[in-house]
Amino acid sequence: MASVKLTNIKKIYDNNVTAVHDFNLEIADKEFVVFVGPSGCGKSTTLRMIAGLEDISDGTLEIDGQVVNDLQPKDRDIAMVFQNYALYPHMTVYNNIAFSLRLKKVPEDEIYERVTNAAQILGITEYLTRKPRALSGGQRQRVAIGRAMVRNAKVFLMDEPLSNLDAKLRNQMRAEIILLRQKLDTTFIYVTHDQTEAMTLGDRIVIMKDGYIEQVGTPQEVFDTPVNLFVAGFIGSPQMNFLKAKLVQEGTGYSVEILGAKIPLNEDQVSALSRKNIKSQEIILGVRPEHTTVLFEKAEGAIECTIDVNEMMGSELHLHLSSANDDKIIVRLPTVDLTKEQRSSLAYGNRMYITFPAKVMHLFDPETERSLING
Amino acid sequence: MSNMTTDMASSRPKMKQHMGLKASRTIGNTLIYILLITISIIWLIPFVFIVLQSFRVESTHQVGYIVPQVWGLRNYTELFNSNFPKWYVNTFITALCTCILQTIIVLCMSYTLSRFRFKMRKPLMKVMLILGLFPGMLSMIILYRVLKDLGLTQANAVPGLILVYVASSGMGYYVSKGFFDTIPKSLDEAARIDGATRAQVLYKIILPLSKPIVIYTLLTAFMGPWGDYVFARYISNNTAAGMNVAVGLYGWLSQDQINKKYTMFCAGGVLVAVPVTVLFMCLQRYYVEGVTGGAVKG
Repeated sequence: MASVKLTNIKKIYDNNVTAVHDFNLEIADKEFVVFVGPSGCGKSTTLRMIAGLEDISDGTLEIDGQVVNDLQPKDRDIAMVFQNYALYPHMTVYNNIAFSLRLKKVPEDEIYERVTNAAQILGITEYLTRKPRALSGGQRQRVAIGRAMVRNAKVFLMDEPLSNLDAKLRNQMRAEIILLRQKLDTTFIYVTHDQTEAMTLGDRIVIMKDGYIEQVGTPQEVFDTPVNLFVAGFIGSPQMNFLKAKLVQEGTGYSVEILGAKIPLNEDQVSALSRKNIKSQEIILGVRPEHTTVLFEKAEGAIECTIDVNEMMGSELHLHLSSANDDKIIVRLPTVDLTKEQRSSLAYGNRMYITFPAKVMHLFDPETERSLING
Repeated sequence: MSNMTTDMASSRPKMKQHMGLKASRTIGNTLIYILLITISIIWLIPFVFIVLQSFRVESTHQVGYIVPQVWGLRNYTELFNSNFPKWYVNTFITALCTCILQTIIVLCMSYTLSRFRFKMRKPLMKVMLILGLFPGMLSMIILYRVLKDLGLTQANAVPGLILVYVASSGMGYYVSKGFFDTIPKSLDEAARIDGATRAQVLYKIILPLSKPIVIYTLLTAFMGPWGDYVFARYISNNTAAGMNVAVGLYGWLSQDQINKKYTMFCAGGVLVAVPVTVLFMCLQRYYVEGVTGGAVKG
């Protein structure tokens, strides 16, 4: 168990491509931090620098207060689970898990105890004599986790460990990682491109893009108060809707005008805008699909839209709509309360009306792409 | 009913077509087997001839028939009263030492070029590739001079030959590097995080996974010196104590010796072929896997 501190960490490759720019982050002891972002954002590179598998071009990396920039991976006291499991194919499951302990010359009795204990926790006791090729993807992933577990390392690193699993198994393993985290009670750094994994697993999420940190916060913080368009679009599924709108300052108040509808902002939003001395301007309005109300009849303040696609998801419908501005909007509509007539009216080309309250609106500057309220 | 009749009628041509395909496949396979058996027989004739001649005891010179009139082991027993055991030991020591040293060097070189990224890595590989294109014979004269200065010729030809065979072995890295490239790097990384040093990664993870290529390297490293004539002839320079079997046995085919030692030459040939043949037959599965694995995936 240990804290990890990254100060101005940079990764510049030999061809002068900078993969990670000035990465600053403090990870507390026993914290579960998730690095999330699209492919090529530098999340895996950062993790590999922490592991010692990539050289750090600049900056300082501390584990438990000790600078480890120049230490070999084996001397950093970390354990890592790889995306492709990286199990040794010529060894049995038992020998795979025992490998690191044998290198440390731990007595065989203790190795046996630690391996069987880990296997019991992970439910792989019956596979200990098998080779990795005789295991399913989920079982292999458990062995990979077991191999990391027995080392009792200070920091547990996971590089997209669930990416190679099918959707059902991924959900199951995700729950198991949450349980494992409670059992191990150590510092976790987890890399994923899947925002659902990030939201469900992390105490804190680090959202990255093009080698930069875009936002660091708890899952609730990054969901409720995204600091820019990228974070707003990346976190949440389906992603946040972005609409062209206008912010209007009227005396001490503010409102948002969109397609003839005028929505006054609430007190908190007004005070945040006033504090920053924001004037009337064009904005990008962000509204999450689950925060949008669908109306079947025209009402005051509602925005008229046309149905493009109706996706049946089981407990809810995902309606893809187009506004008069040609903004594309996705709405989540629970099916449980819909009448038969309402369902049949949700067909391609039909008109619908949507509204949303001020408190769920996110306002972004079209030029800087930063949030006018949280940025 | 009418439907059933139609179905049966339409299935008949399909059955005929199926039978036709089966017959043509059988004929094709038979022809291929006949061709392969013929080629094998042609290829085996010289070997069978030598084996039969080695058991001929009625005369020692070349004769115009293949099957011996009197069979015996005299040629083999006489071999042990000649220089043959010395040549055999010379060849075995040369081949064994070369085999071990060359395999270590080739595998270390291949692992380094496959896994490490360092400046001049690619130019180094290219230079070695180009150097490897020159025939080894070009360096023979200068090598002889160097070895002579070091006292490693004639009676001391064995260490000299080992030095020559092993010296350039690093250049034969292509096939095994190709094989190592197919082993995921994440295995190395996982092992390093587990606490292994680079050397431990090589012999605990990479080599056990590369059994075919290790055996391929061992076999080729053994067979090269085992059957070499040109360098061995040049460096031993007519000194019986430094000769290998190829050079020694060839000497028996000279005009003044051939009539007395022809059948002994055949017996020597058989004894030379036995260990390599046994080794090869036991390990040929790995040998083929090594060649194809390195070549296709590399």
